[in-house]
Amino acid sequence: MKPAIRLENVTKKFDELTALQSVGLSVEKGEFIAVVGSSGCGKSTLLRLIAGLLPATEGSVMVNGHHIDGPTEDVGIAFQTPVLLPWRTVRENIALPLEIQGARRASYEDAIGRMIDLVGLKGFEDKQPHQLSGGMQQRVSLCRALIHDPALLLMDEPFGALDAMTREQMNLEVQRIWMETGKTVVLITHSIIEAVFLADRVVVMSSRPGRVVDVLDVKVPRPRSFSNLGDPGFQEASDRIRELMNANGMVE
Amino acid sequence: MRDAAYPFATFVLFVIAWYGAAVFFDIPPYLLPRPEAVIERLVGDFGYLMRHTWVTTYETLGGFFLSIVVGVPLAFLIVSSRVLDKAIMPWLILSQTFPKVALAPLIVVWFGLGITPKILITFLVAFFPIVISTVVGLRSMEREMLELATSMRASRFQLFWKFRFPLALPSLFSGLKVSVAFAVVGAVIAEWVGATEGLGYLLLVANANLDTTLLFAVLAILTVIGVVLYYGVEIIETRAIPWHATVRLKDASL
Ligand SMILES: Nc1ncnc2c1ncn2[C@@H]1O[C@H](COP(=O)(O)OP(=O)(O)OP(=O)(O)O)[C@@H](O)[C@H]1O
Ligand SMILES: [Mg+2]
Repeated sequence: MKPAIRLENVTKKFDELTALQSVGLSVEKGEFIAVVGSSGCGKSTLLRLIAGLLPATEGSVMVNGHHIDGPTEDVGIAFQTPVLLPWRTVRENIALPLEIQGARRASYEDAIGRMIDLVGLKGFEDKQPHQLSGGMQQRVSLCRALIHDPALLLMDEPFGALDAMTREQMNLEVQRIWMETGKTVVLITHSIIEAVFLADRVVVMSSRPGRVVDVLDVKVPRPRSFSNLGDPGFQEASDRIRELMNANGMVE
Repeated sequence: MRDAAYPFATFVLFVIAWYGAAVFFDIPPYLLPRPEAVIERLVGDFGYLMRHTWVTTYETLGGFFLSIVVGVPLAFLIVSSRVLDKAIMPWLILSQTFPKVALAPLIVVWFGLGITPKILITFLVAFFPIVISTVVGLRSMEREMLELATSMRASRFQLFWKFRFPLALPSLFSGLKVSVAFAVVGAVIAEWVGATEGLGYLLLVANANLDTTLLFAVLAILTVIGVVLYYGVEIIETRAIPWHATVRLKDASL
């Protein structure tokens, strides 16, 4: 089977600045990958390359066996900020990708209703973004990334701005959605706990220039719960990540 | 609407101060007419004043709408074409340093004394804020929003109408509010250069006759026109972009 994502020797330069240096990574279909690394090490750049939002300077980026030279249809992105359109209601914001693809309204009304139930936004369908809390806005953004049922979901620190409680809740929701749908997920995060909790494999990056230092497995069975964070699988993985980050002078 | 009480109170105080000054310092009416004289004049000559008011309002709105009709599409062109942007923008900005009312006599030479030159002069004055604020608004998209649109593979058309244009509306409306106020000024100045009717013309007549009461009456009417047009735009704004913070937060007190 072709890997869902394959990066070979990818380098990305912005003028003089080398944001990514010889990055290699292969992600299987249905795998959940987390990417951790200090600020500015090129995580978002990596995501943009996979999403086809930026061209690589050198090397090849392949998604589903195809070289990427622009955004593809089968990808959903949740950005670091919710980037909701303030003049649209929750429902209309979630519908945006479908509307842009030219789908007919009647064909997706039900799907949106189900999606809204799934993330617990029932009753807020017709509210505008400014009437929602930060966590609710993130959930809308997640719905929008998922509504066209993409095989690949890319998330750039989507929960960074949330409080610890809401964040755990969102992590559980993401795990559930992932287990139900079997999508390939790449999650960028600053939180080691979030990374080991959600991911099958964690990619650890170093900065200046951005490189992949190591990719490590988290061997904890699913579904995972936060009460099991004492599990040796979690401990081992997070200790190793901390070790790698310290060794590379990346103390958060 | 309760908030209207405050500016109204200020207005009442202002009139009282005006009255007090006129009486206390015993200022002759040809320098400072008393409020009641101005009101009497407004009532007595109502029909006559309204006829001129209509002319000026017509010119103001004509110039204002022309500014919108020309300014907004021009802004679209400027943001959609790098060449036009580079070719036009510097001139537009430079033209701001040029006193456009100085063109009024020339425009009168070219277009005569009818309504056309008045609308053109008003347009010259009112048009710039609309272009600039629309351009700024259309450019105000943040990187992530643009990436969102790109990742959904929005067409240029969709990018414009579903993202850029709605995003530009708050800025466009603030430009409209500046522009409508400028338009009143433009219309009055246009009437100073060869007109036979309108409030600007009345100002000249009143000035020549040392008819200070008429001057005050016309100034009062001009103030009302300005305020009404401004709030007219603001009401449309509230309807058009209820989601925008400046609209939403208007009622919030600190
Ligand atoms: N469009 C761009 N033009 C120029 N330089 C850029 C651009 N995007 C990113 N960079 C640079 O590339 C480097 C990596 O940026 P990137 O946004 O990928 O970091 P990051 O790991 O996502 O950081 P953070 O965790 O703070 O979001 C930074 O030094 C940044 O300044
Ligand atoms: Mg980033």
